[in-house]
Amino acid sequence: MQHAHRLTSGIDGLDQILAGGFISGASYIIQGQPGAGKTILSNQIAFAHIAGGGRVLYVTLLSESHERLFQTMDPLAFFDRSQLGAAITYISVFQTLRDEGLDAVVKMLRKETKRQDATLLVFDGLLNARDRADTDFDVKTFVAEVQGQAAFVGCTVLFLTSSSVTDLNPEHTMVDGVIDLTDTLAGVRTVRELQVRKSRGSRALGGLHKFEISDEGISVYPRIESLPARVEASVRAESKLSIGVPGLDAMLGGGLPEGSITLLAGPSGSGKTTLGIHFLSQASDAEPALHFGFFETPDRLRTKAAALGIPLADQEGRVLTIERMPLADNILDKLAHKLLDQVRSLGIKRLFIDGLGGFERAAVHRPRLIEFFACLMDQLRAEGVTTLATWEIRELVGSDVAAPAREISAILDNMILLRLFEEDNQLIRAVSIQKMRDSHFDTSVHAVDFAPNGLMLGGALSARQVPPHPQR
Amino acid sequence: MPHILVVDDEFLLAMMLTDILEDEGYEVDTVSNGEAALAAVRKRRPDLVVTDFMMPMMTGLEFAEAVRADAALANLPIILVSGAQGNIARERPELFQAVFDKPYRNSAILEAIANHVATDQE
Repeated sequence: MQHAHRLTSGIDGLDQILAGGFISGASYIIQGQPGAGKTILSNQIAFAHIAGGGRVLYVTLLSESHERLFQTMDPLAFFDRSQLGAAITYISVFQTLRDEGLDAVVKMLRKETKRQDATLLVFDGLLNARDRADTDFDVKTFVAEVQGQAAFVGCTVLFLTSSSVTDLNPEHTMVDGVIDLTDTLAGVRTVRELQVRKSRGSRALGGLHKFEISDEGISVYPRIESLPARVEASVRAESKLSIGVPGLDAMLGGGLPEGSITLLAGPSGSGKTTLGIHFLSQASDAEPALHFGFFETPDRLRTKAAALGIPLADQEGRVLTIERMPLADNILDKLAHKLLDQVRSLGIKRLFIDGLGGFERAAVHRPRLIEFFACLMDQLRAEGVTTLATWEIRELVGSDVAAPAREISAILDNMILLRLFEEDNQLIRAVSIQKMRDSHFDTSVHAVDFAPNGLMLGGALSARQVPPHPQR
Repeated sequence: MPHILVVDDEFLLAMMLTDILEDEGYEVDTVSNGEAALAAVRKRRPDLVVTDFMMPMMTGLEFAEAVRADAALANLPIILVSGAQGNIARERPELFQAVFDKPYRNSAILEAIANHVATDQE
């Protein structure tokens, strides 16, 4: 395939989905119900195009006045009133359509594109044009003529239209790409999704991608499962990272294998976060660490570490970064992209995720979770980061712990299980290694105690004390 | 009855202004771009023109320049109504009798129109 010149959308996630952006001189339909975000998306693309030196002709057929449109755009970071009438021109062709028909509109668009020297044409209101057309053929002709004359002068075209009920819109066959914007309710949450239905000449990332509208405009989060597979970072297979608790390192056969992913499962209060703090306490300039959590704020995590007597690197340096994600209305892929961006930009070598349940809660479509985690872990492996991630088991105290999230543990390399059980009216913490990839480990169950400097490993529990193993 | 030409590509805004002006007793014609406006004023000189800025074929600014360059029309009163380009227009006081930013108050523009129509007819 020849490498086509691209018109970038200015939205990182969308450019990634479009394999680099729109193809210059090609035509696209952006469709969605009113309120789905078509107008904001196309204006954002338009202003990014201007910022890159392009010129834009924005044509409306709608009843909403341009001034009203500008007022809607005013709070958005990308919108710049000083460009109106300069690098971007908004015109209405409603009267031309009403008085003289589609042919006259085509003619006017050609003249105006030339007059404005436009390199991007946005035509807002294709549905209105369709209402006007006597047959489907007229709209096909209209779209074909507009895109033909635009392509001739190298101008890219975005047709905006409210999606109709039928999927078989006749005009879709004429354009180079179709982008669908949807806005649906999942329980009580609004979910905005973007899908590239057709993409001639480039391989777009498939499926529904989440997006959101904020004061920055639109941000798109490509579905993690659709990202191209990446090669695992080359790590020294023998190299181990200390988990920060000497006895546990010994059980692990020397520590956590570099670049591996370890699930730390256990009920609430079993010491998962504490063990994570131990892992983070081993951070250094050579091994910067990231805490990516849903529960503790940076202050609370530091207070907790201080109370446990585990020293953490100070706040100012780059050795340890603490990120707390709020639990409210998260977007699953946004979380994943945020995590991956942080790991990449900070060169993170030690990652503690507390916990995977925060991702699970953000999932609107739960059946995708296993594939989501599998792909997220692959992206992390590609970065060569050693990851410890917690998973909460519901049973607080008890011996009949079912193997937690068996499917999730299958996609991770190693698994450490923390348990609480009662013995002679004493609450006992125990740790065991459930699996280690390509590495020998101690299969016995050990007691864990809280000592002045954090967790301390006791000896192997005797046969009598060992709680039954989880069912495999 | 004074005759006013309204120039705006935005149909609804043109219609609204037309209705308001007709209620005040003006005779009103509308066109949707600067080129059509120039043809209209050459065919029949109105008492005043209210024009938008950003329009197809010819902007309100280009229209005003063409009118001022035409000896027969040079003193035709023109009022510009615009959102973002008001300041560009204010830098060219020789072109416009008044400049209003959208959205404007109807009473304010009616007053300006009445003043300029009266002055013109004196």
